[in-house]
Amino acid sequence: MAKLDLLQGTLDLLILKTLALGAQHGWGISQRIQQISENVLRVNQGSLYPALQRLDTAGYIDSEWGASENNRQARFYRLTKKGERQLKEETAQWERMTVAVQRILETEA
Amino acid sequence: MVKRLMALLRGEELDRGLNAEVRFHIEMETEKNIKLGLSPADARLKALRSFGPMEKHKEETREARGVSWFENLIADLKFGARALFKHPGYALLAVLTLGLGIGANTAIFSVINGVLLKPLPYEHGDRLVVLQQSRPLSGQPNVGVAIAEYFDYRERAKDVFDGLVEYHQMNFDLINRGEPDRVNTGVVSHNFFDLLGIKPIIGRTFVQSDDVKGAEAVLLLSHTYWRTKFGGDPNIVGQVFEMNDRPHRVIGVLPNVPHYPQENDVYMPVLACPFRAASEGQIARNRRAFSALSVFGRVKEGTAPEQAASAVESICHTFTEDNKQIYRPETSGFRATTVPVRDALTSGAREMLLILLGITGLILLIACANVANLTLARMLGRDRELAMRAALGAGRGRLIRQLLTESTLLAVVGGAIGVAFAALTIGMLTTFVGRFTSRTGEIDLDPMVLVFTLGISVFTGLLFGTLPALGSRVDLVSALKQGGGQAGSGAGRKRMQGALIVAQVAVSVMLLVGAGLLLASFYRLQRVETGYRSEGVLSAQIFGNFSRYPNITELKKLYLPVIDRLQAQPGVNAVAITNAVPLGGGAPGTTRFEIEGRAVDDPERRPTTDVRVASPQYFAAIGVPVVAGRVFNDLDNEESQRVVVINKSMTKYWEGTDPIGSKIRPVGQGIPEDWYTVVGIVGDVRQFGLARETVAQLYLPLRQSPFGLAGQVLVRTAGDPTSFANLLRTTIYSVDPNQPVENVRTLDDLRSEALAAPRLTATLLGIFAALALLVTLAGIGGVIATSVQQRTKEFGLRMALGARRDGVLMMVVRQGLTLVVIGLVIGVIGALAAGRVLSSYLYQTAPRDPIIFIAVAAVFVVAGVVACLIPARRATTVDPLIALRAE
Repeated sequence: MAKLDLLQGTLDLLILKTLALGAQHGWGISQRIQQISENVLRVNQGSLYPALQRLDTAGYIDSEWGASENNRQARFYRLTKKGERQLKEETAQWERMTVAVQRILETEA
Repeated sequence: MVKRLMALLRGEELDRGLNAEVRFHIEMETEKNIKLGLSPADARLKALRSFGPMEKHKEETREARGVSWFENLIADLKFGARALFKHPGYALLAVLTLGLGIGANTAIFSVINGVLLKPLPYEHGDRLVVLQQSRPLSGQPNVGVAIAEYFDYRERAKDVFDGLVEYHQMNFDLINRGEPDRVNTGVVSHNFFDLLGIKPIIGRTFVQSDDVKGAEAVLLLSHTYWRTKFGGDPNIVGQVFEMNDRPHRVIGVLPNVPHYPQENDVYMPVLACPFRAASEGQIARNRRAFSALSVFGRVKEGTAPEQAASAVESICHTFTEDNKQIYRPETSGFRATTVPVRDALTSGAREMLLILLGITGLILLIACANVANLTLARMLGRDRELAMRAALGAGRGRLIRQLLTESTLLAVVGGAIGVAFAALTIGMLTTFVGRFTSRTGEIDLDPMVLVFTLGISVFTGLLFGTLPALGSRVDLVSALKQGGGQAGSGAGRKRMQGALIVAQVAVSVMLLVGAGLLLASFYRLQRVETGYRSEGVLSAQIFGNFSRYPNITELKKLYLPVIDRLQAQPGVNAVAITNAVPLGGGAPGTTRFEIEGRAVDDPERRPTTDVRVASPQYFAAIGVPVVAGRVFNDLDNEESQRVVVINKSMTKYWEGTDPIGSKIRPVGQGIPEDWYTVVGIVGDVRQFGLARETVAQLYLPLRQSPFGLAGQVLVRTAGDPTSFANLLRTTIYSVDPNQPVENVRTLDDLRSEALAAPRLTATLLGIFAALALLVTLAGIGGVIATSVQQRTKEFGLRMALGARRDGVLMMVVRQGLTLVVIGLVIGVIGALAAGRVLSSYLYQTAPRDPIIFIAVAAVFVVAGVVACLIPARRATTVDPLIALRAE
């Protein structure tokens, strides 16, 4: 099966969702997204970083430098309170949208 | 926003962080790939591939940080500075014009900030109010508060005020190390300084126990007096000085804060003032005893100022109703209210300052219009550059931003020059405003002013940058096709230039009319008939201190010998003593009087007059003409019949009958009920101000005066009066070596002093108007010059086809003059509408004085023709052959 390109704007949601599970560094986030989506989604790993910076500027996430699992310096991101609210809101939106799309697709022609 | 700014400041550090982060990512991915069985090289390659285009991602990350606009700005600034350095003439002219405009505004704003905007330099200065009593129905806008009234307010208004304090000023002789020094003495409640929140820099201020009967007399020194008279002696506290025949001990020194309501040398508690203390005993018999107090209060926290005012009003209402026979509220309208101290302090300057701010605002607009025009002219040569950049992909928005960056850069540099300009002129302005308000000590180029300057600089830059940008829709193709010099002389731009010139002319006309009106008014004021001759007269004050000269009988022992001895000096034509010199300051007195046979029952309806005391030669000394009857002579003494002389204005109360021979008497507290016979009528004298209409005045002979007076000596000399000053002093010292001689001035000086404020106002506006005219004419000249330059070919062609030189000249001049005339019409309409704001500064000059308007119009037409002719002549010197070959 061909991998799916990410829909516009969903990367932010996936990052927030991933970080809701705990603080993580950039590479870790990319691995987690790939694992959870069972390699269906194709995320250009580099595009993660502008997205992280956007979320940071918006105040949804925070970052600090720390030691990685193999004891190297890595930048860890974590969700802020504002980010948690944003995640809730975006999840709800996403659900409403998928339900709507689903309904349209199920309509008998 | 904070994050963005932080990101700006830490740009490089963040870049290092990003690089490290990406490196870490690639390493992790590579390790993962190695574990999956790839060779290290392949593993790294695969990691890089799955990362995607690295530089693009980094760039996007940086942009997400919000740095790009800043980097763009830096680039624009660098580019702008380079472009400006390439055209130093344009840049210099623009920066200077703007510097002048911004500088004028900065200077005026710094004054407004210091006088009107800053809170008073006292703790809770915004809650300080001054109590004002008036009798509006009998024409007395300001009535001092009496001791009994103050006590009423103090007792009954406790729920709205933290406290009420009293103040009055006295002049006492302080014997300072042997020499008599006449000091301005503020006599204040013991809690006066506490209420104002003023802490002494040495020692202490007054406490309650200083202000009881029999307490030791104590003094506080002002900072200035301490510095100038005692050289800032740190051991001043505890020193004892002789004052009012008693020892006074210094207990402290006040900090260097502005004094309100007046500057004083020393302060004492109220009971230490012999007059105030003596009067307090009389208040049971006389409610209005010592009605010379100023009363201040600090409104309680959370109490509205209106509440305090209405509390004071109702207390006043109660005591006037309880004492109707004294206050006669029905006919006097006696009332009281409170006014914020800051407003009371600056009310005289507010209007003037706002007018000046309006004027400098107009000047800035003219400067903007001028620079906008310069910029438009310069853009002629830039069309190709702009078109090129547009062709290379710069959007219209990006180009406009570049232009705006340049104009703002110019304006900010102009602003810096403006601040320098303001720093140079602020001293002169402070002196000027000092004639309208006493609150000038806090005028300064402080951060608030600098913020204002930065604000108007940026605003100015955007304003004059936007106008040319709007007028220039760059037409890519035609701009690139044409040669540099003649590109894009679009109609839009021409209209814009024309409109700017019209606006400049209109505003300049308004300013010129204003300046013209003030100058005309000043001219008339200078030539006003004062009713006396000031030249050759020297004046001085010799106010015998009450401890040695307690009443008029004693005072005459000082004054009469002084007159005699001065009279004996060589070169003296006439000597007199009076109670106030003309134009020496002060307001007319309002003593009520009664004419025999014309009695008015209600004292509030009796006519009022200003009472002067004059020795026999007074009228001769200052040259007041005798209209009828006689003036005083040496036979009008204590024993002879009581006589008075009145001025012409006072004769109206006789309703057409001859006042001479009739009897009148002044009535009021402490005035003996003697009748005086009118023996003469003298001319009116402008005693209280050149522009002030004369009031009814009554002269009493010095030897018959029932009142004590602060004696003013007047000496008419044959030669230069200033050279007589020393002889004046030594002669007075020969009568009393301990008598201070103050305020030695010529009457000419006083008169010129009275003209200082209108002279400065007229000069200031005159300078502003001249600046505006100059800038505008330069603008007209510039526009005509560029237009002539553009049309060189056309002119050449016309002349080749036989057009005469003066025909071409006329054509060019007509083009410029049309703009001038349109601007003139608009400006005249504006001046007619706005002239009213000046009316209170005009003397016998109507704000719509047709002569001024005609003169201004004439000036503009002539100046406009000249401004057009200079560049227009260039058009006619064009050699047709060269012009046609120019392409």
